[in-house]
Amino acid sequence: MFSEAAVREIQEIRAKYPTARAALLPAIYVAQREFGWLTPEAYEAVSDLLGVPRAIARGVGTFYAMYRQKPMGRHVVQLCTNVSCMILGAERLVDFLKSRFGLEPGGTTQDGRFSLVIMECIGACGTAPAMLVNDDFYENLTEKSIEEILGKYR
Amino acid sequence: MITVTINGKEIKLEKPVTVLEAARSAGIKIPTLCYHEQLEKYGGCRLCLVEVEKMPRLQTACTLMAADGMVVRTETEAIADVRRGVLEFLLINHPLDCPYCDKAGECELQDLVEKYGPTTGRFKEKKRKAPESLEDPVLVRNMERCVVCTRCVRMCEGVQGAAAIGVINRGGHSHVEPFSGGRFECEYCGNCVSACPVGAIMSRLHRHSYRPWQLVSETETICPYCGVGCTLVAQVRDDVIKRVVPRIGTPVNNGLLCSRGRFGYEFVGSKERLTTPLIKKNGVLEQSTWEEAIGFVARRLGELKTRYGGDAIAGIASPRCTNEDNYVFQKFMRVALGTNNIDSTARTGYAGAQAFIENIFGQGATANLIPGLANADAVLIAGGDPTAVNPILGLQIRSCARKGGNILTIGHVKGVRHYNPAELKPNVHTEAALLEGVVTALKEKKGLPGSIQTLESKIKEIHRPLDDAARTCGVTEKDLAAFVEALSTASTPALVIGKEVIQSAGGSYNLLLLSAVAYLVNARIHLLSERANEQGVVDMGCAPDLLPGCRPLSYVEFRRRYEAAWKSPIPEKQGMTIFDMIDAAKAGSLRALYVMGENPVFNLPNAKGVEAALRGLELLVVQDIFMTETARMADVVFPALSWAEREGTFTNMERRLQLLRKAVNREGMEDWRIVVEVAGNMGVRMHFSSAEDIFAEITRVSPLHRDLSYEELEKSGIYPYKGEPLRGVTGDIAVAKPAAGDGGGLFLGIERPLFHSGTLSRRAPGLVKIYETAVARISPATAAARSLKEGDMVRVSSVIGYLELPVAVDFAVRDALVMITNNFEGRGALSLMELVLDPVLRAPVADKTAVTIEKAGR
Amino acid sequence: MEKVLLKNIENPHSADIDEYKKAGGYRSLSKALDMASKDIIEEVKKAGLRGRGGAGFPVAMKWTFASGDPKFPKYLLCNADEGEPGTFKDRPILEKNPHLLIEGMVISGYALGAEYGYIYLRGEYPAAKDILNKAISQAYENGYLGDGILGKKTRFHLAVHQGAGAYICGEETALIESLEGDKGQPRIKPPFPVNVGVFSKPTVVNNVETLANLPYLIGIGGEAYARIGSPECPGPKIYCVSGHVERPGVYELPMGTSLKDIIYTHCGGIKGGKKLKAVIPGGISTPVLPPEKIDCPMDFVNMPKHGSMLGSGAVIVMDETVCLVKVCYRALKFFEHESCGKCTPCREGTGWLRSILGRIESGEGMEGDVDLLLSVAGNIIGKTFCPLGDGAASVTQNFIKHFRPEFEAHIKNKGCGARQEKL
Repeated sequence: MFSEAAVREIQEIRAKYPTARAALLPAIYVAQREFGWLTPEAYEAVSDLLGVPRAIARGVGTFYAMYRQKPMGRHVVQLCTNVSCMILGAERLVDFLKSRFGLEPGGTTQDGRFSLVIMECIGACGTAPAMLVNDDFYENLTEKSIEEILGKYR
Repeated sequence: MITVTINGKEIKLEKPVTVLEAARSAGIKIPTLCYHEQLEKYGGCRLCLVEVEKMPRLQTACTLMAADGMVVRTETEAIADVRRGVLEFLLINHPLDCPYCDKAGECELQDLVEKYGPTTGRFKEKKRKAPESLEDPVLVRNMERCVVCTRCVRMCEGVQGAAAIGVINRGGHSHVEPFSGGRFECEYCGNCVSACPVGAIMSRLHRHSYRPWQLVSETETICPYCGVGCTLVAQVRDDVIKRVVPRIGTPVNNGLLCSRGRFGYEFVGSKERLTTPLIKKNGVLEQSTWEEAIGFVARRLGELKTRYGGDAIAGIASPRCTNEDNYVFQKFMRVALGTNNIDSTARTGYAGAQAFIENIFGQGATANLIPGLANADAVLIAGGDPTAVNPILGLQIRSCARKGGNILTIGHVKGVRHYNPAELKPNVHTEAALLEGVVTALKEKKGLPGSIQTLESKIKEIHRPLDDAARTCGVTEKDLAAFVEALSTASTPALVIGKEVIQSAGGSYNLLLLSAVAYLVNARIHLLSERANEQGVVDMGCAPDLLPGCRPLSYVEFRRRYEAAWKSPIPEKQGMTIFDMIDAAKAGSLRALYVMGENPVFNLPNAKGVEAALRGLELLVVQDIFMTETARMADVVFPALSWAEREGTFTNMERRLQLLRKAVNREGMEDWRIVVEVAGNMGVRMHFSSAEDIFAEITRVSPLHRDLSYEELEKSGIYPYKGEPLRGVTGDIAVAKPAAGDGGGLFLGIERPLFHSGTLSRRAPGLVKIYETAVARISPATAAARSLKEGDMVRVSSVIGYLELPVAVDFAVRDALVMITNNFEGRGALSLMELVLDPVLRAPVADKTAVTIEKAGR
Repeated sequence: MEKVLLKNIENPHSADIDEYKKAGGYRSLSKALDMASKDIIEEVKKAGLRGRGGAGFPVAMKWTFASGDPKFPKYLLCNADEGEPGTFKDRPILEKNPHLLIEGMVISGYALGAEYGYIYLRGEYPAAKDILNKAISQAYENGYLGDGILGKKTRFHLAVHQGAGAYICGEETALIESLEGDKGQPRIKPPFPVNVGVFSKPTVVNNVETLANLPYLIGIGGEAYARIGSPECPGPKIYCVSGHVERPGVYELPMGTSLKDIIYTHCGGIKGGKKLKAVIPGGISTPVLPPEKIDCPMDFVNMPKHGSMLGSGAVIVMDETVCLVKVCYRALKFFEHESCGKCTPCREGTGWLRSILGRIESGEGMEGDVDLLLSVAGNIIGKTFCPLGDGAASVTQNFIKHFRPEFEAHIKNKGCGARQEKL
């Protein structure tokens, strides 16, 4: 079940569109935030609120890469490894995250502090390599800077 | 006129079609996989790519509309390469497990590869793995074989309207799953199975027990379950039905089936089928012979008729038996026993409601085409969930909604909840007040058409302002006004009436109000029908006041005509209804009851009372295919042949007459033949040697069925009849208004689940696996108020008995109701129900039984 | 050339409406609202403005189709799903100059008769979402959005719709599906969005950069605008350069600036004085070019003549240390990940190409693999539902076309001949 605040938020979103179905993507974002990840209950809550059949909500939810189909750590490191980042050393950073933080692509650290998601291009190619930690951009990354940055996220 | 040239052949097209359809119309084959004529265009598989002059890219024939002057080539070297390439892509992750795939032999992929595909593979990596899912009881999912054509998903969402499965993930990880990932928990129509071109979604019934090419015979017949009358194809090996499939192009269901039709056939081969006649000796039913049993029944009936007169004997016919069975049975009762004591369970709602409506509008008022619902611009549903009672009719309502039609419901109708229905949920027992409000408002908005005076005089008496109606029923005036507005502005509305409004306190008054609504907005009426031949049993004259063709017994000129045809007198006195029979048995004035294909001890309210009444009979004869609750009490039990084992006709709720064909062989006699034999032993010869003979007599005797023949029925069902409908026999409209509401408390409700029908379905393992046991279905509020949760065992008690059942909490149930099905042995809802009859319809009132619910075993 | 699209972005408060107005913002809107909507379309036609998303479709033509359709309401969608790898040209507009986009959208909406607009913003730009939402509410407060804009009858409502990580949603019909709450899978065309688009209504989908051109275009007029850059497809263009150059970043230059000039003049040449090995000129889907082919004008008309495409104007520069087999492999991994799964060749073929490239890259390639790649790519190209699969196949074909020996050497040497430790 959604919190009352979440219900209100989704209803506000709903009002921006001529159909309830159009509010599905943003509503799934809300559900992801509320439930931590897209549990069956999260999909059911969205489905009930918008009147979209559950299997459809889940089909749509699993189509998009930024929706989380499994539990995630407290902070999600989204590191780009596409070509521009790769030729400037992104793969070295992947290795570094593994050796320094025990963080594997698609995995979560044992303490639940970080999850690592390998991203396709995040539009920071001119300042590659780059990553998002939660909603924050970090660019021109090096092993050293990444260590400092992640240190800020407890 | 559009002219296109395909492979040098000029094709003229009357209307715009796709290149694929144009090619097929000219006999040019273009391979396809994702294309399905019942589904929206998709263009995903790319097998139908063709060359079109003046278009730089190859085009998918399934999506491209043929345009005038278009020049298309479908068989070039380049196209052959494309097909080979696409099939190679489809095979790289395909397990190539044809030797044990049930689809092999009718697999579209297999056929395509054989014709167009590569002979060797170049893919060297490991194939994608996905273990076969056997988590569902009736459907098996194998995603390694899936070609992601999405036909199943498009069928489920776009045609069935259930949207229970979806494509999960994307790209190469795409696969089809129900929401749970395991069990489908859907409507189990199995239309996804029909849609699947490969072995990715299949039925588990008879899995690995046949190869498609071993299904040596295929019989097109009519579904034995509900009144829609879907055509189905029974596919048989060694006289066992291995599967049931639909066929595209059939009149009512056109390529679709529901759970009962598709998965409910296994009762035919059940080990519980009765095999020999049984005679009760010293209180125990013992095996007998046909000769002995028939002789015994004939003798006893003769004795009782002589001693007490024919009116001490009654017959119960069956909405599950064919027209031929029922015709012979009522003739037997009237001619051999000399009584009009003949009725059926159609009396519990359908017959009375139809008579009521036809009395107002004339015969045939409810005989409207089911597919027509899809073209209505508004559908008003009152009294049940059509998607559960008559599922294929329900699909037409969903289709209407998808085309933009308004769906209006009185009460919550679960099956249309995703179609944005305008929903009015009146408090229990206030439906009439709500409808009075609707009629009053419509009368003001639309005015009286002036064509049916009897009805208009009744309408004039109805007056309840909207605000009063809203207040009384617990709905908002705004919603009610919007509801009325939607109805009044519809130009092609339809009204769907279910049993719940008929079987309610003031059922006749409800019907008057609904008739008034239909009259004021000029709506077509559809009367939901739970049994395959409910209309037929009435039309055949299995009613105490009707002769075949629905001719009233009370009209002497009709009676004379039938007497002439039958060369026998017909008693003038109207017979007993099914409920009168029970009363008479209880009172001792009824001495013998002959039951053909019916189970009154289970299917009538107050089961214990019925049982007690029947115990007093001197003779109880039962013909059935199973040892039912009623058969157990019988003095003689005849084993009948089932629906799949014989010929005959059913009349569906549209009054479409359709032919049943024999799918499997079995020793034994059809119901009509048993009756003919008994009659013969009583010295009354009925010269029928086949169902067709009987039908021939029906068409001679019944004006409604005049000039029809099996020959004509062979081609397709007949609708409408060419016969004469009854006109000008309308009378006054009698109604009985309900008493005031009873206030608080809980009432019993009858759940009519999609997956069951009673005696048949409970012997169909596929359906039982889907819906295993009876439950007490209550609303979340009812559960909360009594601290009950899902699965708790409860005792539901009424003044006449109790049942112990697990709780199911269901948001679709109204707060004042406890819903129980009447399908499972020993746990039928009707065993709790008091028998109270509507004085006009003579149908039971089902919503006035007060019940209590409490935790069991305390 | 004066900066038009990236004007003022050094100003840390450039996203604020007051700063924008101070720099002349929203003046073109007043001018536009005094014009007849068909005259605006006429100016855009005179200007020769082409869509900046990648296909270069003439904007005025799209608008004419949509405005001519009798159905209402009409929708204007801004494609801010900038997902083509190497592309970061729209991000500065979204984050630094949101009012330029909003002003452009209101003008465009007025021109084509659309009263509702959505900015379909990629999920990977969370900062831009907040900035845009703030800018939109400022625009509402200042009467540039809503009913009765600038006291006229014009109304335009705008909202941000956030995507959730799907490259395919850059394709306009997939974008529409996604906006409607479905999977981003392309639709069958026809009908085209200009007639049956979002919510089944006439819809124009334009790229961020395209719409951001409108205020300037209206300000100076179509004829003056047409004098900027290439005569065939004029106007300012944002080129975004990444990889091995001294000064990577976004450059607003006249359309048709030579690729060589972009790399060597504007970006300061190859980083560390190394040798240039290859350039992808317009985002990863466009054909790679070897060093000898980079003297070409970067516009929609000329790039195809030089064996590639302008695409999104995303230039990825690779020096001599880069293993092109690996780049090609990474590109295919991307396409495989982003394939929507609707059509067979793309769904199955991208993964197959990736797996063959993967084994070559890791030193397990087999003889004949290069020809197998070409054959599989050939079975994809021209057979897919949308351009994504074509892109994947053509990337493979073009890498092999220009650098086949490197692929062959990988197979022969069981890996990268000059394999450094991980790049």
